[in-house]
Amino acid sequence: MSDPSRFNRRRVGRLLNAIGPVFGLALVIGLFSLSPAVRAHFFTGVNCKIILLQTVIVAIGALGMTMIIISGGIDLSVGSVVALTSVVGATSLVKGYAPVTAIALTIAVAGGIGLINGLIIAGFRMMPFIVTLGMMGVARGTAKWLADNQTVNAPKSCVNNLMDMLDPLHFFPLPLGIWITMALAVVMAVVMQRTIFGRYIFAIGSNEATARLCGIRVGPMKVAIYALAGLLFGLAGLMQMSRLTQGDPTVAIGLELDIIAAVVIGGASLNGGTGSISGSIIGALIMAVLRSGSSQMNWPNFVQEIIIGIVIILAVGLDKFRQRKAAF
Amino acid sequence: MVGVRKSFGATHALKNVSFEVGPGEVHALIGENGAGKSTLMKVLSGAYQADTGQIELDGERFVPKDPLHARRSGIAMIYQELSLAPHLSVEENVLLGEEPHRFGWLNRPRRRTVAREALAELHHENISLDAPVSRLTIAEQQIVEIARALIGSPKVLIMDEPTSSLTQVDAENLFTVIDRLRQRDVSIVYISHFLEECQRVAARYTVLRDGESVGAGGMASARLNDIIRLMVGREIQDIYPRTSHALGKPVLELQALRGVAKPRSANLILHEGEILGIAGLIGTGRTETLRACFGLDRIKSGSVWVGSRESTHSSPTRRLAEGIGLLSENRKEEGLLLNRTLADNLTLTRYGPVSKLGLVNRHRQRQCAQDWLARLEVRAQSPEQAVSELSGGNQQKIAVGRLLHHNARIFLLDEPTRGIDVGSKVQIYKLLDELAAQGKAVVFVSSYLPELLGVCDTIGVMCRGVLSAVRPAREWNEHTLMAAAIGQWQAATS
Amino acid sequence: MKSLLRLLPVFVLLSVAGCGRQSEGTGSTPGARSYTIAVIPKGTTHEFWKSIHAGAVKAERELNEKGVKTEIIWKGPLKEDDRDQQIQVVENFMSRRVSGIVLAPLDSQALVKPVENAIQAKVPVVIIDSDVKSDQYVSFVATDNYKGGRLAGERLGQLLAGKGNVILLRYAVGSASTEAREIGFLDALKSKYPEIKLISSDQRSGPTRETAYQASQNLLNRFGNEVDGIFCPCEPPTIAMTKALRDIGKAGGKVKMVGFDSGSQSVLDLKNGDVQGLVVQNPVLMGYLGVMTMVKHLQGEKVAKRIDTGVVLATPENMEQPEIKELLRPPIDKYLTE
Repeated sequence: MSDPSRFNRRRVGRLLNAIGPVFGLALVIGLFSLSPAVRAHFFTGVNCKIILLQTVIVAIGALGMTMIIISGGIDLSVGSVVALTSVVGATSLVKGYAPVTAIALTIAVAGGIGLINGLIIAGFRMMPFIVTLGMMGVARGTAKWLADNQTVNAPKSCVNNLMDMLDPLHFFPLPLGIWITMALAVVMAVVMQRTIFGRYIFAIGSNEATARLCGIRVGPMKVAIYALAGLLFGLAGLMQMSRLTQGDPTVAIGLELDIIAAVVIGGASLNGGTGSISGSIIGALIMAVLRSGSSQMNWPNFVQEIIIGIVIILAVGLDKFRQRKAAF
Repeated sequence: MVGVRKSFGATHALKNVSFEVGPGEVHALIGENGAGKSTLMKVLSGAYQADTGQIELDGERFVPKDPLHARRSGIAMIYQELSLAPHLSVEENVLLGEEPHRFGWLNRPRRRTVAREALAELHHENISLDAPVSRLTIAEQQIVEIARALIGSPKVLIMDEPTSSLTQVDAENLFTVIDRLRQRDVSIVYISHFLEECQRVAARYTVLRDGESVGAGGMASARLNDIIRLMVGREIQDIYPRTSHALGKPVLELQALRGVAKPRSANLILHEGEILGIAGLIGTGRTETLRACFGLDRIKSGSVWVGSRESTHSSPTRRLAEGIGLLSENRKEEGLLLNRTLADNLTLTRYGPVSKLGLVNRHRQRQCAQDWLARLEVRAQSPEQAVSELSGGNQQKIAVGRLLHHNARIFLLDEPTRGIDVGSKVQIYKLLDELAAQGKAVVFVSSYLPELLGVCDTIGVMCRGVLSAVRPAREWNEHTLMAAAIGQWQAATS
Repeated sequence: MKSLLRLLPVFVLLSVAGCGRQSEGTGSTPGARSYTIAVIPKGTTHEFWKSIHAGAVKAERELNEKGVKTEIIWKGPLKEDDRDQQIQVVENFMSRRVSGIVLAPLDSQALVKPVENAIQAKVPVVIIDSDVKSDQYVSFVATDNYKGGRLAGERLGQLLAGKGNVILLRYAVGSASTEAREIGFLDALKSKYPEIKLISSDQRSGPTRETAYQASQNLLNRFGNEVDGIFCPCEPPTIAMTKALRDIGKAGGKVKMVGFDSGSQSVLDLKNGDVQGLVVQNPVLMGYLGVMTMVKHLQGEKVAKRIDTGVVLATPENMEQPEIKELLRPPIDKYLTE
């Protein structure tokens, strides 16, 4: 029990847990710097900016998804919600709403979908997997219906600048979307780590029965979690719209899987109770770096897909290994 | 078939057990909770290996390697908790694991005949082969379970508390089935707390206590009181702080509380400064009484009074706000957040003192947890450690610590000392005594009679879902408690 | 706070890298005369894109033979028809500082910003196949799709002798090339054959044969008994619609079918008489001219802003003529040996 060597091993284990994803990211970056031809372009400011820019949508989605996965749930409707909100945003701009109104409306719609998800999951005690799988179809269909099966071209507005590269030759200035993502990541990390709300989310994911026993109102908490995550997914949809400069009902198919992968690579367990915002953000970065790197290496698309698949399995496998070590 | 003879000498759970069953004989295995019955069963069924001693089957040495081997050799088992697959049909359940097949292809017509014959043998052809098991009554499910056991034509059938969840009538039916099996020369080991039942079905008995067989004999000639004495037969040790507490005004009252299945009727009045013990066998509804009272399970009828206010239908959130805390009997599955830190577990229900405006002050939280760890003498390295890294006793102290941190006035403790070391037990007894001295009220559910007698001011006994007749602890002794728990009220009052 | 600290090294790493070496542009130094050109199709599985690929490779070989060192990088979006993925491909090539990008944009609006960003970053862009709503690109090398659409309209009108019910199964929204064909087709009917009635023109096939097949079946379920002629503006719906016609026994001329683009299946359908007209582009030439135009631009020559690669109507009657035959069966294998 009080054997010092065991104590140290436990600390080492925890340290490993903490730096695991960072180490993974460093490894991936290191891997691509091996090739001199790639190195020349990989470590340029512009490339870093582009990687960050390509991470934004997955990262914002991962902020919400981390919360949901830590609470022991899952949300498969993200991709469809992103498509729907991009359509809602573009349509409201087309209809002549002020950009602020359009942004508020867009995010509110996604928050509403999250709220509905949460109400069904908590109210009928249904499996989140099933509920959000259904919502995935509902949101995608609604998006196509609203957009009349076409893309909706939004008129130029400040919304379009969110994801604009601004200066394609230099690292700074960074697009607003990147700053927003970083700020939100900080806020969400504080929420998860430091607030009672965050502690309750961990408690519910760790053991729902205990949470109930300890007087946590599990149902309302779940509703709040899915609704809050929905707001974040709405923001991701807004970013998607800004990036395409249009609302596209067919965009982001399978995005939810990228997001879940980022969260899992970041050390979260699909059983709930573990995970971190920082880990998920790094997970999202790892995937973006892999994509960018393999593109620069001239690897064909299928190689990229295979590699990312392997990375997911490796990340989760390593995590299990670390946990087993930590348990002794 | 010659007799079946088994004798063991495993170390802790089983020290020295021997008994034998003849063909077509029903042998009752009697003992308190924790006397070693379930371990013995597991050895017999091959789940555990015996350290020493031997089992003989049909006069030959038999070493069960695993449950499948035991089953193939003719030892079948019916567990207390039914182990059927609820979504599968009766037919599929009866044949589970023994499907008649040819090269992996199921033989459908043959399946039906085999399953139908098995049910017919029990005179229960009325059970539809295609119905999913979840639609059957508990009694019918039990028949299905027995039918499944009979598929392999077992020589020995072990039944563990088969009547614990049955009504009187269904129990009678089961006894008829047992008689029928006996006529087929199946040997039956019948494990039960209920002595009446044992008298009804068994020819001979063996009493287990602390992993030893302490007595055996013919059922017909046995006196119930003797058997009870054999079951208990223990000295009350001096590890209990025997101080008497001054009882104040009533703080919690249950009136004819009835839950969905259990309890059927629970009555008690808890006073300030009182430690009220609830004795009874496992599965009689003690846990359910506490859960219903705490707002975790639905209440069908009856009422709960907190102080002088009626507050029957409630939620854990509200109960905690009223100053009531529940310690779950299952600390791993319900009591604790195993992969979270000690600090989080201790402060989960009351973040107030360690937070401001919804933001948790990590330093204050750690300090607060550190204080509790010291007060409860928890052996841990740091408040940031995960609960799962602690031993059982220390885990339990964390769970109790949470109630203390919550400043609860009323403690509902469900088996607080189960599975923890003696040292921790003594600490918990001391703690309960202190709490009562401070005027707090405790409901203490336990299956271990000596601790109830040693710690409690008053004790009530729950039997088959009914809790009544709470009496001062000094009016009880282990003998009378046990008698009351198994429904022998005459013996209990004599 | 610990968790945030963990992120710190990442940002530091990225920003250090960012402030460090700036773009230095290797491939495009004019003296070296060595070019790396990225060719980005809309997708990679259709035969049409394989023909473009073949044309690009043909250009690469010829240039290298002439001593102009050229390397073609062929890369489509990770998921076909995903605009965001195509944007990512463009961005990655831009940051990789290739000499130039030859792009077939998936969307006329969504790709504007990435194209303009690349041009701003001094990576010139030649657009092929479909237009993009920008005027900063070097050149637009494509079929005159409107002309192609007119050709199809005239053929269908002639086949129906000026009267009957016609269906137009559109492709997808935002694809400028197919939209131009659709407009050309409708214009030709309106001006030359005003008696022909259009009974459906609002359905879209979607990007794959599977989605197109479903759309075709739905259309024929509804209009199967009234329809006399059908036009589909590109390969997937042409093949799918012909198959759907065969399913209900209306192929082989009972319902006149005019399609667009040549693939091995649609050529077979043409040969069997299930398709009465196929407007064919010259994708090999498009890929070839796309790369050639880019290299000319890089070498400092002035190039035309709009280059037409031509369209031809193939019919069961003329399909054996050698010049048509080469368009119907582009010599892909000669260039793509992988």
